Amino acid sequence: MSKQYLTAHTVDQAHTADIFSLAPTPTVLFSASGSSSIHIHSTSDPTFPLQQTLTNAHKLGCHHVCAARGGVGDVVASVGFGGEIKVWRRHEDGKQWKLWWEITPTKSSGGDVWAVALTADEGYLACTTSDGCIHVWDLVARERITTYETGGSSGRGGGSFAMAVDISRDGKLTASGHQSGAVYVFNNDAGRLVYSLSGLSKPVRAVAFSPGGKRLAAAGNAGVIALYDMEHGEHVGNLTSPNSRPAWLTSLDWNDTGAYLLSGSLDGRVKVWDAERGICVATHSETDSAIWCVRWLPMSDRVLAPGMAKGEMFCAAGASRSISFYREATGT
Amino acid sequence: MPPSVPRRRSRRLVRDAGKFPHPNAPSVDQGPQSGIVTIPSKNSNDVALLRIEDLMETILDAIMEGNELFIPYRSVRSAQAEGDSQKTSFVRFPGRNIQEVKKFEALFRILELSHEALLSGNIITKRNIYYQNIELFKSQSTVDDMIDNLAFTLGVGRGDLNIAATAKGLIAGLVDLIMKGGSIIKCDHSHDGGTLLPSIDSIDKVDFRDAKWLLVIEKEATFRTLAESQYANNSKAGHGIIVTAKGFPDLATRRFLSILHSVRPTLTVFALVDFDPHGIAILRTYKTGSQRFEHEENVTVPDLKWLGIRSRDILSCGSGISSQDSQSSDFQHLGSQRSQDISSQESLTFSYDGSQEERHNKRRRVRKTRDPSETVASLTQADRKKAVSIMKEICAAEGLGGGVAAEMEQKSELQRMMMLNIKAEIQAVDNYGDITDWLNERLCNQQQWNISF
Repeated sequence: MSKQYLTAHTVDQAHTADIFSLAPTPTVLFSASGSSSIHIHSTSDPTFPLQQTLTNAHKLGCHHVCAARGGVGDVVASVGFGGEIKVWRRHEDGKQWKLWWEITPTKSSGGDVWAVALTADEGYLACTTSDGCIHVWDLVARERITTYETGGSSGRGGGSFAMAVDISRDGKLTASGHQSGAVYVFNNDAGRLVYSLSGLSKPVRAVAFSPGGKRLAAAGNAGVIALYDMEHGEHVGNLTSPNSRPAWLTSLDWNDTGAYLLSGSLDGRVKVWDAERGICVATHSETDSAIWCVRWLPMSDRVLAPGMAKGEMFCAAGASRSISFYREATGT
Repeated sequence: MPPSVPRRRSRRLVRDAGKFPHPNAPSVDQGPQSGIVTIPSKNSNDVALLRIEDLMETILDAIMEGNELFIPYRSVRSAQAEGDSQKTSFVRFPGRNIQEVKKFEALFRILELSHEALLSGNIITKRNIYYQNIELFKSQSTVDDMIDNLAFTLGVGRGDLNIAATAKGLIAGLVDLIMKGGSIIKCDHSHDGGTLLPSIDSIDKVDFRDAKWLLVIEKEATFRTLAESQYANNSKAGHGIIVTAKGFPDLATRRFLSILHSVRPTLTVFALVDFDPHGIAILRTYKTGSQRFEHEENVTVPDLKWLGIRSRDILSCGSGISSQDSQSSDFQHLGSQRSQDISSQESLTFSYDGSQEERHNKRRRVRKTRDPSETVASLTQADRKKAVSIMKEICAAEGLGGGVAAEMEQKSELQRMMMLNIKAEIQAVDNYGDITDWLNERLCNQQQWNISF
């Protein structure tokens, strides 16, 4: 059984450089690229118009931007190539976004900051570093509360580059994916490592907890999506493409029900997977330039066009510099 | 022991000596058919000579009057660190300590040797200067630094002092170098991979014959393989010239290329460097120069074209950043056009992919397909730092109203490098050691692109 998704809209040339990251909130979509500004697109309008531009957000360009999955959408964090983290907050008027706080490279110490994730309550931020650490910051107190190290017992740093991070929606678990192929899961309450997951031996570029927190998906250069059970830390299966040599996967995202998983890869393909049955239900390959990021838009009551039913949407962006929005074809 | 002061020469005498005939503009010898081009001699030798003689006169005067002797001396590095303050320090004689005496003596010796070289019209190598007095100079790098700093202090280029580095670069191809002494260096039948690059100042004329392109290669090994297989004579892109500076380029090689390009603008100059921050730094040094040698002139090739290798060269086997050949803006455009209102289920996708395959077949047939994982390495912390510092440099230029397309592309590639956390060497695109297929394809495409533009 395949599902059908149609291109709802494409924002052409949304940025002047590769779009590296997307972050949807219930009302807007942040897009970040190799250029210095971050764009905020309204997602409650069928043409996804530009609502605000955060100019000069990251001088050298921005590689990660994230919103809280399942959050109200008041906080967004971004990381620049210069190693600085910026935390943005929605103004009381509900529309304007402003810089709330900046964590400069020296403050975060150790290796360069890379990937970033926010807790659902938008109170904590986890960021990875190039020397394999995961720092957790309390956004309200503005202080670093924990650092998980993966470099063995030797102490500071020395771990494999942590390329991806995610926090479960209940805030209990943090997962990191590494250059070495390692995937680690930490218990935030106990402040310690709970699972060291095997299964992928090549660099892991994306990790994502399912909305219920029961599953963790991880993917990267191996070209397969590994699924892990979070109750016992077991590898429960792989989602694989029939291709003889699958392209490197760059991005993963679960939909709000946890039934479907979205993936993007360097060969320009965007795929929707049925996680339970372990099969690919839709493939899009409108471009052969790299996809850097794929994201579901949070479920909402939006009706994007007359006669169009409410439905789930996702978006994808990358080296084409455009953002494509897809909606489910409902048939009715 | 005080240094010996050479006999003062009258300036008129120097002029009359007629050692410096200066044909100003490059002159093409009769007709466009001819490939022989004259290398213009430098005018700035005069300036260098005048400044050295002025300095020596000052020293002589000081001796006569019994005053303290001094040589003005600015370090390139500290001047850059302090942000171009015009402060000049002095090395005095007799100095405050023995080190200063030695330094004065060494500097004076260099000035003296440069003066002699300028008067005779000969070129002296840095190595040769060092061997003049090993005990005094202590190390080659001391000499090198002193020469660069002296040139900087005098406000001239190092070549203007008639001091050259020992040749590091290699050249091969259908090109003849006609030396000032009258001898001819033929670069096409060099037995074992390349001819040592002579100093550009010692070349009178260059016979380009029908060379259409010049390729600068970062890696000596790649250069040697190509030189041995006579690639410059057999390329599908026509006759050409290949050059290497064996890694990070020295001033001599950069000046050679810069002057060659200025006398022969129709010769397209390409660079082939590794896909890593160091490779991009090398590319930028050839193209826009280095900070350390900002005071040198004629050391850049602004029109230099980046032949590769880029992210798409490494990842093109079924998972490209993009498979398009032309400039990035082109493939972006194409990508967005194709994404409009095409949506497909898996079944549809396959047929679509089929047509895509066809389009790229021509390119892919010649290429060995390899898993990119086999050809790439991870960036080190130092690599990532270097990448960031180059990006900062590019952004600073952007702020000054620069921000040309070529620099934006460099920034883009550095960002992709960091995103993927990979680097790759030139060898990543070769076919079990044979890079000629890739080169043929790239050089041909690039040339077409130039014409159509």
